[in-house]
Amino acid sequence: MKKLLFYFCLTISALIFLYPFLWMISASLAPESEIGNLFALPSSFSLHSYLSMFNKIPIGRAFVNSMIVASSITFGVLLTGSIVGYALSRLQFKGRDLIFYIIIFTMTLPFQITLIPQYIIMVKFGWVDTYLALIAPYMINALSIIMFRQYFKTIPQDLIDAARIDGCGDFRIVFRILWPNSIPAIVTIGIITFMASWNEVLWPLIVIRDESLMTMPQLVTLFAVGGRAESQLGVKLAAAVMLALPIIIVYLFFQKYFIQSMTSTGIKD
Amino acid sequence: MAEVRLKDVSKIYDGKVKAIDSVSIEIYDKEFVVLVGPSGCGKSTLLRMIAGLESISDGDIYIDDNLVNELSPKDRDIAMVFQNYALYPHMTVYENMAFGLKIRKFKKEEIKKRVEHASDILDLEELLHRKPKALSGGQRQRVAIGRAIVRKPKIFLFDEPLSNLDAKLRVQMRTEISKLHHRLGATIVYVTHDQIEAMTMGDKIVVLKDGIINQISAPMNLYNHPANKFVAGFIGSPAMNFIRGKIISDSELFFVSTDNLIKIALLTEQQEILKKYTNEEVTIGIRPENIIPSKLINENSYKITTTLDVVEPMGNETIIYFKMGENKMIARIQSGEVLRVNQSFELLINLEYLHFFDGKTEKVIE
Repeated sequence: MKKLLFYFCLTISALIFLYPFLWMISASLAPESEIGNLFALPSSFSLHSYLSMFNKIPIGRAFVNSMIVASSITFGVLLTGSIVGYALSRLQFKGRDLIFYIIIFTMTLPFQITLIPQYIIMVKFGWVDTYLALIAPYMINALSIIMFRQYFKTIPQDLIDAARIDGCGDFRIVFRILWPNSIPAIVTIGIITFMASWNEVLWPLIVIRDESLMTMPQLVTLFAVGGRAESQLGVKLAAAVMLALPIIIVYLFFQKYFIQSMTSTGIKD
Repeated sequence: MAEVRLKDVSKIYDGKVKAIDSVSIEIYDKEFVVLVGPSGCGKSTLLRMIAGLESISDGDIYIDDNLVNELSPKDRDIAMVFQNYALYPHMTVYENMAFGLKIRKFKKEEIKKRVEHASDILDLEELLHRKPKALSGGQRQRVAIGRAIVRKPKIFLFDEPLSNLDAKLRVQMRTEISKLHHRLGATIVYVTHDQIEAMTMGDKIVVLKDGIINQISAPMNLYNHPANKFVAGFIGSPAMNFIRGKIISDSELFFVSTDNLIKIALLTEQQEILKKYTNEEVTIGIRPENIIPSKLINENSYKITTTLDVVEPMGNETIIYFKMGENKMIARIQSGEVLRVNQSFELLINLEYLHFFDGKTEKVIE
């Protein structure tokens, strides 16, 4: 009985979280006149909102832009995070711990504080309205460094020593020995980074004005709050579904690691 | 030709802790040298310094007359076998063995030839395509040795390679490594805390304590002529028995234990050596096998009657624990009669095999 009540509560909670999302998909496929109905399924399904949305905004181009930006950032973060994480976990040098504490400190700074200086740097570099403005500032982050550092600490020192005797330098140790043995950390950091950069809106809104360079969330946000949707809720919802779709696909593929990423403390099993 | 020379090598951590203190060792070509000592004595640190995995605070290390202090491990032409095998988990046995050669840009055919040769020596042919997690402890250790063999290095370094294996496998691997040493004619530096491994495998044993060399010698010489009380107690199992006391002169020289319950008349040649220690503190040492049942008559012996505290029948021999005065003693006697705890028993200490150590410096008196 207790178990039954427990499952009942869980089901209700799941429905509360899931319902808005299911409604969004259902409404995006419904005729415009039936969108106001919050509970019943539409009388007919149509792709009209999607076709209309495709005609109004370059969502395909934005998807490609988002893929380029999110993939480059993810790759960059994995590369830099693992290199710095290795240095902080395995190399001996003066000030190592101080550097680590400074990196942790940067995590406490909200994005809004660095927003303006970062924008000024982009202007000075002439990177505004280029991919570089979207990618370069995010190529390294504290969370990935900390997670890699913690994970690498769990790998036996003997393995690294053996590689050194076999003739490996530090980069070979990171990419030939540590990477293949840190798949859970790589996937976890990869998913977190990819999701964060995919969903980023504020920064692209500041540095990108050229529509052909806009990322999906930026384009969808401008579309939803700007006048181009012509107050049609269906097309806005269709755009929102398109925005969420890649993340859902990523989630389905890496579900196991995704959950791990939310609970992981960097400790190896 | 592969020789290693350590000259006044020291390792100081954080400017304070001296892990290795001015160690000098000469390791000759094809020699099997064992570094032995209790935990924390610095033996693994010393091996890692030879490997280049640990920096040197002071002194010089030469490999074949080349100063290698600043050389990275890959340039020292050494191979190392680790205690926990340190096999790359994502590679197969073949890839593990080939990895070092690939990095050194050997040709594929040469790599294949060397891996096949090593796997033949170590009986690994059937396991070449397995990953380390699919291997037993003994097999993993053989792969780790194979990885060292394929490199054909000048020096092999072993860091407690048998510690993670069970007792039976340890004995088996011990003989395999010894055979390998003769077969390859390799120069080996081997670290262990197990004095049986040291005694059975080494051509030369280096006994370390607190980062200081206590003695360097051939195994049997180390056993029969320990340089100090520590070496005497560390080498040999069960360990040597020690009794503290004084040398007194009473027409001739006697050893009298601190509790005054033991008075041993010393042999003529012992009196000669111990003359200058009259009224000085001295510790005597006697190995468990030099205490024998009294029915085995021995002229130069000291007779004791004692009660047995513990009896450990081992099959071929029996280890007995008893007290001599206030000193706890161990004897190893041939199994013959059945002995029981609390049984009264007469034993003879063979005085010819007594060792004498200075009461203050603990150095052997010779």
